Parts: sequence; structure tokens; C-alpha cells
Amino acid sequence: MITERLGKELLFFDGGMGTLLQEKGLLPGELPETWNITHADEITDIHRQYFEAGSDIVLTNTFGANALKFQDDTFPLKDIIDTAVRNAKKAALFADIEDRETYIALDIGPTGKLLKPMGDLDFETAYETFKEVAVLGEEAGADLIHIETMSDTYEVKAAVLAAKENTSLPVFVTLIFDERGKLLTGADVPSVVAMLEGLRVNALGINCGLGPKQMLPILSQIAEYTSLPIIVKPNAGLPKQRDGVTYYDVSPAEFAKTMEEIVKKGAVLVGGCCGTTPEHIREMIAAVCDFPAVPCTPKGRTIVSSYGRSIEIGTGSKIIGERINPTGKKKFKEALKEHRIDYIIKEGIAQEEAGAHILDVNVGLPDIDEVAMMKEVIQQLQSVTSLPLQIDTVDVNAMEAAMRIYNGKPMINSVSGKKDSMNQVFPLIKKYGGVVVGLTLDENGIPDTAQGRLEIAKKILASAALYGIEKKDIIIDVLCMTISSEPNGAKTTLEALHLIKNTLGVQTVLGVSNISFGLPNRPIINSNFYTMAMQQGLSVGIINPLSEEMMKSYYAYHALVNLDENCEHYISHYANQELSGLTVIGEHKGELTLQSIIEKGLKDDATRITQTLLETNEPLDIINQELIPALDVVGRGFEKGTVFLPQLLMSAEAAKNAFAVIKDVIARSGAPAEHMDKVVLATVKGDIHDIGKNIVKVLLENYSFDVIDLGKDVPPELIVQTVLEQEVKLVGLSALMTTTVVSMEETIRLLRKEAPDCKVMVGGAVLNQDYADMIGADFYGKDAMQSVYYAQKLFS
Amino acid sequence: MDKKTREAIRYLGYGKNAVDEKTLSLISKTFQSLESVAVKKSIYRIFNIVHEDENNFSIGKVHIHSRNLGKNLRGCNKIVLFGATLGAGVDLLMNRYNITDMAQAVIMQSCAAALLEEYCDECQDAIAAKLSLEQLYLRPRFSPGYGDFDISYQKPLMMILDCAKTIGLTMTDGYMMTPTKSVTAVIGISPSKEPCHKSGCEECTKKDCLYRRDSL
Repeated sequence: MITERLGKELLFFDGGMGTLLQEKGLLPGELPETWNITHADEITDIHRQYFEAGSDIVLTNTFGANALKFQDDTFPLKDIIDTAVRNAKKAALFADIEDRETYIALDIGPTGKLLKPMGDLDFETAYETFKEVAVLGEEAGADLIHIETMSDTYEVKAAVLAAKENTSLPVFVTLIFDERGKLLTGADVPSVVAMLEGLRVNALGINCGLGPKQMLPILSQIAEYTSLPIIVKPNAGLPKQRDGVTYYDVSPAEFAKTMEEIVKKGAVLVGGCCGTTPEHIREMIAAVCDFPAVPCTPKGRTIVSSYGRSIEIGTGSKIIGERINPTGKKKFKEALKEHRIDYIIKEGIAQEEAGAHILDVNVGLPDIDEVAMMKEVIQQLQSVTSLPLQIDTVDVNAMEAAMRIYNGKPMINSVSGKKDSMNQVFPLIKKYGGVVVGLTLDENGIPDTAQGRLEIAKKILASAALYGIEKKDIIIDVLCMTISSEPNGAKTTLEALHLIKNTLGVQTVLGVSNISFGLPNRPIINSNFYTMAMQQGLSVGIINPLSEEMMKSYYAYHALVNLDENCEHYISHYANQELSGLTVIGEHKGELTLQSIIEKGLKDDATRITQTLLETNEPLDIINQELIPALDVVGRGFEKGTVFLPQLLMSAEAAKNAFAVIKDVIARSGAPAEHMDKVVLATVKGDIHDIGKNIVKVLLENYSFDVIDLGKDVPPELIVQTVLEQEVKLVGLSALMTTTVVSMEETIRLLRKEAPDCKVMVGGAVLNQDYADMIGADFYGKDAMQSVYYAQKLFS
Repeated sequence: MDKKTREAIRYLGYGKNAVDEKTLSLISKTFQSLESVAVKKSIYRIFNIVHEDENNFSIGKVHIHSRNLGKNLRGCNKIVLFGATLGAGVDLLMNRYNITDMAQAVIMQSCAAALLEEYCDECQDAIAAKLSLEQLYLRPRFSPGYGDFDISYQKPLMMILDCAKTIGLTMTDGYMMTPTKSVTAVIGISPSKEPCHKSGCEECTKKDCLYRRDSL
């Protein structure tokens, strides 16, 4: 078994395949995998040459052999993979290598598609695609699976899960980094390492993209973070072109020389990628074969990651934003019930802007489908922020669903010292990876001494270890009880923090705000307690980053204990604050009316002035005398060509802020909400451009329409279903390209059939009146204002 | 005012009208934040073209039929296949503003498009400079979706360039590029310098387009 040799000795991969095939006559646009069948002898011969050059592991010619990339009418995927493995086996058999043990690695490359939310490929479709390949590969007799040349952590996650859940083969993963040490999708080395270690792969590393020299700094970084055996497979230099042909010009001798350094720096599985030949591999092996394998050592760094970013816990204190949580928040609960995801996402963005490093995500309410909601919110958040997320739920199904589709290595909130809890949560951490919050409570409740909490922390760590979960992946929450009912609550918590941190050397976390429950002016207590907790070694605080007091404590603490070099962060936050605060207030005081503020599109001022106006004016008067006239002026200006789209939208955003303040007041007064006509908006199926639709949305909302935004790439069936369920009388459809106007037409056809009373307005770059008539729309809006006027006319 | 700012203003629909100071300053700030998140990548490869007749030709195993492109490539026996992207970070930022501020979102959309064009021009200039040493000259860039050059050619183009692997550029089932701020194109190579051809925008048949360059 190769796993027994891993990390204990150097093992050698083969080199390039694609470049050799091109030399043998593979044409541009031809699928290299078809050669497994059409040119079996050539393929076998290349494999044989690599074995004879000294390769222990040879990759099958299946880089693009997956249902999404390999679309060929002649050969089924199964035959391609079968023959690919057979060719490699045959090569091993006929190679002149005495009885050296060799391995066939099933090569799995990327699908060539980008996953949602950035692209259109579903995570589960990617998973199924890789599953098919992995299963066929194992059946054909591959010894291991090598997922390589990957650029996107999300796609890698789908591939690894597919391989691990459906085969018993060892899984190796290499990715393609650029010279900045990042993936094409932006992820850095620590985030890649954290995620792959969490997924429990057998070896990881880097291939393609760069030559051996350029890989050195990236290898150093990988070695700094990973505890697993490292793979390095460079190209023969950077690609060059001559007479239209791509070539690589690092010679075998030069390649071998740099590979010496690469082995010294810690790579234990080495080979080549594009442009390397059996000669490169032969010379590399001759140069390094007597070198000892650098042993893999545990690194013990606590890292959470996301799409493009990693956060290391343990340097300074980090902030987890607590705001995405319905507990005690009426508006948030309503947003959840009404499925207004935007509201939730905005909470996330606001916290990131305020300085959060990680966002807690809790969407649990008794009467919603938490599994579905959790998945949706996580995917939406990951499309607008690269902050790592903390999955916060007591529903194990929601936890697993979220961990599965999360891009990166998440934080998990939480496990406790209760047996049941550990039995449920630890298997998930073992399977998907994650840093889990361990609550110091068990079947007997929360111990009231620091020592008691320490004992539970020990129990949690010991149980985790039985699952192979290391200490670095546990963060202990010593819990805090409000001092209004537990006079010693804060003291015990602080003692426990200190004790647990120093006895166990584990990272710690605390939901700081609990301490003041039941007391007036809570931020005073919270912020002071926060400072005290950081002083006792709090690694991560779960706080409200929008609270100025909390952030003051955060910045002051880091400046005071020399964790903020040159007080840089402190200064950048507070140096100019007082000054700018004063100018803003002075500038507009009493000078501008709300109407002119809206016309000028001054968002922040709109909120402030509306609040002031509400002290002396009726809400409806403000709407009729200030807001509506302002919107009319701007709207007419837009039509006449004196006001342009950015200004129109700035005014719309300002009006939106003013309306929000007014609506709040009306809601608080208990007056019945005004009747609003419903409009469904959607970008049609196949189309991923939603800016036009969003413009229409903000304007319709300004004119008091209740917009049901179904998003982009929306199937006709969903639109029809929504129209019927919510009794909607107007649908707005957007399409950007000629190719997707077809979906628009299909949607209209289905609407006519199922909901003949519903009107349809259409818009988008490629449309015009003729086109709109042709596909049977009721109205073509050449710009966003036209859609508003049409909706007004329809409902008046 | 630099070219990309002028282009961004055109995409925002200002036509010949002057832009207000506030929008102008937002445009300039937007370019700054785009520059900080964009990871510009490009790839090109040069191939021989085999002309079958005026409207039909092939590159390796890929056959192309297009009258407009055929015209553009007349006299060329080689062709550059080109791909470029600003990366997924730009999409993330645009998604964000689509939720928090639509005015900023449309400005960012326009600025990103202008930035991408500028980047493609820079890449093309660099290719042109290299080829001019061999007395070879480039035709204007021509992308799938221009005129009758069907957008579905995006697929073989991206496959030959291996765009997913080389620059992280992929395509949806509906032939839309992801990351969205990306371009694929072909550029003809000819042995003779020709008078400047019309470039893409003017070639389009949608004559009533608000954003059309030659309508200004």
C-alpha cells in the first residue's frame, strides 16, 4: 500500500503527458483522452518510458475525462477510463523495471466550469461528476486518486468528497498557484491547506502553472502550514511561444538541480507537469534519490478559511460578528420568515465593514426549514464576502448540510461535553473539517468553578482525539453567566479563561454580550468585560462589531499590548473621527430640505434628516410633500435626458433610506401597513446578469411596490409557481443576451397558460419593441423608469 | 480624462452630456477599488487558419462559419486566440454593491467593463509589438457574439486555450463567461498592414443601441 510509504521515503511521479501528445500529433480542439483508445500504443509507450525513468506513480491519461468536460459522441466515459487504467497497467507490466513496486494514479482534473455562486455549476452536480470518474477508476483498478491542477477550493472539495465517500482509495490533491502564491480564484496557501487537511486527504501540494524555481517560495509556505506529505510537480519552466507553438525550456539538468532544493525544503512526492519528459524525471531522480525525506511534523495552527481568505486564530484576538442571529431581533425574524435574504446578507456586509474577521450564521426559527435556509444564506454570503463563517445551529442536519456546501474550512458552533452532542458533532468535523467551538457544559450543566469547566474542556479534547480531531481544531468556550443573576459570573469566566488557556494550550472563545443580560446600558459592561477577557487570553470574541464601544475596546487593547504595530489600526480608525463627525453635521444643518437631499442622492443625510423631520411631521406628509416630489423630479429628468442612470439610482438609494426610517416609525406606531401591489422580478433561466433587474427593483420599491425578487437564472416553473401562490398581477423579466431571450419567451408562454391574467413586462440589452412583441410580452421597458410607469398605470 | 474613464461614462449612458462631479469622483474611486481586487490574467496562442471559402475556415479540428469574421480575416493565414479576465474578486464586489447600493453597482459595472477593455488593448498591443518584428500585423479583435460570429464558438475557443486552467475563465451552459468580466476573442494576423478596420461595436447590427460608439 502506498499509504504505508507516504512521508517516510521519497516517491516519484511521472512528468508531462499533454505536451508529449501534442508532439505526437494531437490537434488543437482534439480531446486527448480519446487517444487512450485511438492511440493506445502511444499512450502506453509514454507511461512505460516514465516507469523506466524511475517513476513510482504514473497518472492515467484521464485529466479531462469527466462528463462535463469530455463530450464525445464516439466513446463512452467508461471505456475511456477503463482503457486509460489498462494502458498504464500494461506499461508497468512491460516496463524494464525489475520488480519495483509501482502505482497507478487515477488522474482527475477540473471540470472546466465554475461552481455557484460565481458560476452556474451546482456543488452536487460537480460532486456527481467526480463520483462517476472516481468509481470508474477504482473499478478499473487504479491504486490511488490524484486530483490535480485545481484552481478553486470549492471544486476541490466536491472532488475530494466524491472520492472519499465512494471509493476506498487514498486521495492526493495538488493545486495550481500563481506567483503571488494564490489560486486563480484568490485563495491563499493557508486556506487551501486548512481545507484539505480538514477533508483528511492523504497528501497535498502544487502542480502546473509555474516552473520549479517559482514554486520554491510557495512550497516554503505550504511546509509552514501543513502536517501532511507534500507533493510538488512543476512545469519545465514558464510557457513560451515560438512559431505558434507553446514550449517549455527548462532542461532536464536544470530541472533536476532545482528539484534538489525542492526536496530539501520538504517535498516528499515529486514529479513534473507540462513540458517535462521522461528525461526530466530520470535526471531528477538521479539527483535526489539519496536524499532523506523531510519528516512531516504537526503544525498545530488553528485556521478557518473561506473562498479566498484564511484567518489564523491565536495571533491577537479575533472578532466573530454575532449579528446574523434572530434571537431577540424582531426585524431579523420577519426577514427570515418572509425569505428576505438580502436583509440577512446586509447584516453580514455591515459587520465586515465594521471589522469582523468571521461571521456567525444562525438562522434557526421554529417555523422555517432551517436546513434549506442555512444552505441558502451560506451560499449567498459566500458570494458577497470572503470572510470565513461560523455555522451556528443546534440542528445537526442543518449543520451537516451547511458544512457540506461551505467553501473552505468553517467554524462550527458548537459541541458540548455532553455525550450525545459529541457523538453527533465530531463525526461531522472528522468528515468535512472545521474548527469547532467546545462549550464547557455537560449533562450536569455548567460548572460554577473554573476547575470544573477545565475538566469538561479536557473531556472534550480527549473525546475529539478519539476521532482523530486535533486540539488545533477545538476552541473552548468557557461560557459566561450574566452578573445580574450570578454575581461571580464574570470572575469565574475570567479565571476559567486563564486556567484553560494555560493548562491546555487551547484556543478560547466567548459570547461576550451575555455578561450584561438584564442590566441597563449594556455596552458599558460588555466593552469592559471584553477587554478583561482579552487580557486573560481570549482568542476569539463573539461580539457585535457595529457597537462602537466594543470596537474601541478591541482597538485599544491591541494597541496597549503591542499587538498593533505602531498603533497603525488604532490610528487609522480614530485619528480623524471626531473631525469628520463635526463637519457632516455642520454642513447640512438646516440648509437642505429632504426633497433636495433626495434629488442630490445623499444617502446618509437622507436617513438623518428624515429622523429629524419625523420629530415634528406626520410620516405621510413627509412622503407626499418631500419624497414623492423628489422622485418625480428625478424621474422626469431621467426621461428628458438631463439626469443619468447613476444619479437616478443615487436618488433612489437616498429615498430608500428615508422610506426605511418612515416605515419603522409607522410599524412602531401600530398603524396597519399600507397595501402594496406585488411585482415579481426575475432574470430568466440561463442568464446570470442581474444588474438590469436590480435597477428596476430599487425603483419599483421607491414607488411602493412589493417586489418579489427571484434572482437570476430563474426557471420558468418557479416564476409561474410564485405568481400563482402569491396572486401576482405583474411579472418583470430581464435577459441580457439573444441566447437567453429564448428562455424569456418560454417563461411568457408558460405564464400565459398557467396564469393568463398576469401581465408581463420585459427589458434587457438585446430587446427592443419588435422583439418584445415577437415573444408576446405585454410591455417593453426601454429603461427602468418606463417599467415603473407601466406598473403604476396597471395598478391605478 | 483618460480613455477608460470616457468609456465608463459612455457605458453609463451619458452620451455627449457632461458628467456631474459626484459621479465623476465615484468613477475614479471605483477604478481604484477595482484595481485592488482585480487579478488580471490573459492567455493567447497563435494558430494557422485554413480558409475553405470566404465564410468558412478552420483552426485545427475546429470549423468556423461566419460572414462577418470571414471579412475581418480576409488575407490572414494565422490567427491569435485570446482570452482575458479580471477575476472572480470583481464579481464578488459587484454582487455586494448589487445588494447595498445600486448606484455604486452600475458605476462599478461600467468601470469594470472599461477596465477590461483597457486591459485587452494592452495585451493586444503587446502581441502586436512582438509580431511586428516579423512584419506581421494584427486585425481588430473579434469576439464570439459580434455580428454573425456565433457566441457558441466561445466553447471551442476556451477549450483550445484551456482557459479554465490557464486563467481561471469558464463558461456557463448558456455561453456566458464566469467570472463575468472576461473576454474571449480572435485576432487575425496578416502579412500586410491594412487600413484600420472597424472594431467590434460598430459592426453590431443593433443600430438603435444607446451605447453605440458611432452613434455619438
